[in-house]
Amino acid sequence: MPEQLWFTEILNHLLAGPVTALLRAIGIEPKHPTAPIPNSFAMEFLVFAFLLVLFLLVRARLSVDRPGGVQHLFETVEGFIQSQSNEIIGYHSEHYTPFLATLVFFILFCNLLGVIPGFESPTAVPVVPLGCALCAFLYYQFQGFRHSGIKYLAHFAGPMPALAPLMIPIELISHLARVLSLTIRLFANMFAGDMVTLVFFSLVPIGVPILFLGLHVGVSLLQTYIFVLLTTVYLQGAVAEEH
Amino acid sequence: MRTLSKLFMVFSALSFAVPAFAQGGGSSEVNWVAIAAGFSMAFASGICALAQGKATAAAAEGLARNPAARPGIQLALILGLALIESLALYTLVIIFAKVK
Repeated sequence: MPEQLWFTEILNHLLAGPVTALLRAIGIEPKHPTAPIPNSFAMEFLVFAFLLVLFLLVRARLSVDRPGGVQHLFETVEGFIQSQSNEIIGYHSEHYTPFLATLVFFILFCNLLGVIPGFESPTAVPVVPLGCALCAFLYYQFQGFRHSGIKYLAHFAGPMPALAPLMIPIELISHLARVLSLTIRLFANMFAGDMVTLVFFSLVPIGVPILFLGLHVGVSLLQTYIFVLLTTVYLQGAVAEEH
Repeated sequence: MRTLSKLFMVFSALSFAVPAFAQGGGSSEVNWVAIAAGFSMAFASGICALAQGKATAAAAEGLARNPAARPGIQLALILGLALIESLALYTLVIIFAKVK
């Protein structure tokens, strides 16, 4: 039996049977059939459920005359992302705001969940940042194709047609390296924050780990911002037109 | 010249530790991976710190010359710092992947 958080235990207790049957139907044998849901998935699911409830709540209480506190918060976030993507991408950047705002909320809440005792950050396992990075990658490639059609592939050929045989492998590798760097940046920051807190906890149990938890909160915010900023820059590379 | 001769005296004093190599084959294997991991992480962090210092200094100077350009300079600074930081973090990830 693996080590489980209390929320994971509740989920596994309720859903172990159906989940194991589903995994076996696809052909995957879970390592612990009584506990097929890992901690990271349970925490991700918690963030997903919380965000869904939050979004539905805000949507139900939208009002022009008397906006509440949560609506202010959402408007601030949306305004920030909108102004930043307008600065980087240029016009027609409103199309991309929903996806970027969702990324902000999801990654931010995933990162901050680790500060609360009894929970852990799902972004501290490599798989979750990989999921976010793959979503961002597929999104900007899709937007590139939607914007320019098949001519989007000309982006990979470089500035001059003569250089194309050299540029295409380099561009492909650099695009794939973007997924890798987004993943590892987010994962390593969260993981290193956990490690450093644990190390100092083992040295000085009282007082000092609070500083590192504070650092973890700061790093969470910064890494969320960086992830979304880089996704915006990649979108600009895929979608922007030079005048 | 005198500082140089003092430096050489310090280095020659370090050679007093050479008999430690005569311990003979130790009972346990030397964990070269851990030693290399320590050195490489220190190296990566040091060079990352130098690069980030240069970036911050340039941003501070640009901001001092032209405070009205704060949004653009701030954006470039944060982006640059995060990208440099991630290079040091790649070293950390390799260490966690390889060191037992």
